[in-house]
Amino acid sequence: MYPASFSYLRAASVAEALDVLSSSSDDDIKVLAGGQSLLPMMKLRLATPGVLLDIGGLRPSLGAVSVSAGGAEFGALATYRSLLSDPGVALRYPAMTDALRVLADPQVRARGTIGGAVAHGDPAADLPAVLLALDASVVLARSRGSRTVALDDFLLGAFETDLAEDELVTGLSLGPALAGQAYEKFEQPASHLPLAGVCAVVSLADGVVSRARIAVTGVAGRAFRALAAEASLTGQEPASAVLAAAAALIGEDAPRPLADIHASGPFRVHLASVLSERALRRAVSRASVGSQ
Amino acid sequence: MTGERDVTVSMTVNGVSRQRSVAARTLLVHFLREELGLTGTHVGCDTTQCGACTVDMDGVAVKSCTVLAAQASGSAVTTIEGLSFGVIQRAFRAEHGLQCGFCTPGMVMAVRQLLADNPSPTEPEVREGLAGNLCRCTGYQNIVAAVLAAAASGAS
Repeated sequence: MYPASFSYLRAASVAEALDVLSSSSDDDIKVLAGGQSLLPMMKLRLATPGVLLDIGGLRPSLGAVSVSAGGAEFGALATYRSLLSDPGVALRYPAMTDALRVLADPQVRARGTIGGAVAHGDPAADLPAVLLALDASVVLARSRGSRTVALDDFLLGAFETDLAEDELVTGLSLGPALAGQAYEKFEQPASHLPLAGVCAVVSLADGVVSRARIAVTGVAGRAFRALAAEASLTGQEPASAVLAAAAALIGEDAPRPLADIHASGPFRVHLASVLSERALRRAVSRASVGSQ
Repeated sequence: MTGERDVTVSMTVNGVSRQRSVAARTLLVHFLREELGLTGTHVGCDTTQCGACTVDMDGVAVKSCTVLAAQASGSAVTTIEGLSFGVIQRAFRAEHGLQCGFCTPGMVMAVRQLLADNPSPTEPEVREGLAGNLCRCTGYQNIVAAVLAAAASGAS
């Protein structure tokens, strides 16, 4: 299969890429990063951009990974492979490592980028759930400035984001890591995409849950926070019955679940509930180890 | 700037510099097979799932059906034709790690990466490491055995 014909531009610098985006009269210009989602869509003619702006050559300026006690900065072109092998990510954001290990396959992870995962807006991508639970912000640049927007505000719906036509995702930032994190998924075996994926992030203080964040992917048009489940945990001892009761509330925040040939809406919600309980158990166990 | 529908692509393939003018939409796998005649790299599913098209691009195994030739311009690419008949291939032969052989070039290229990343993998790590490569004949058992044998004999 070939993609439909397009014009190809390779950006030599971030400034040049932004200049092309701001000056282009083409409204069907698409930015190509690793291409592991966009190229398959183009081969199936689900996407037929007239112009492809390849930013793959900008990895020296947009590929950095920096993790410290205060938080993390990921360049948009950091590949899944580079994130998976980063000791700082594994140490402070183990939920990301959980997800990266089961995301697609090794060859796709070698090319796919974290910025692309966010900009693409695929409702079944793994990382948006993790990034949402970790309270990520998206850094966006345009030729006349930049802005930072919470991922929760950036994701709008299936393949829809707040990215303006003249903007480029240049990076993601995370706040300080919380102690207990885990990601669990149930995948469609051919695509490796999650039919449901859940990230839980839990902080414990004096034996009770001081803060819980749960985010779900694959179940709705975009990754979403399970606010009802989160609220039920706050101030509670993380006993098995409490975690199970929270997990049972996952559907409260997914009133219209996705359904397709692979899984019905109610089945996806069921999976998300089971996975939430598993993710919460592992997150609590990791938080307990971390606080000792 | 509106870009070009035809692009000049230059890359080093198996140690030899190659340059061609091709349509921008040309995929790396088609560049290798149709422009350069290197048909050892196979097109299986053409949907980024089966891994038959796996090649080494700048030291990392990638699926060449999901890379534009233009993206690979400036890169060093190694295909199955660029490998000597080494420990991995010998292990596939000794362990009967293939039947029809269609997936084998991609398997070998993926195993090369797997063992470079993890020279002493466990069986589950081998299976995880080959998640991007499908075989419709063997049921994987002998492929996994071949990878473990190659690791034991020091493939990397």
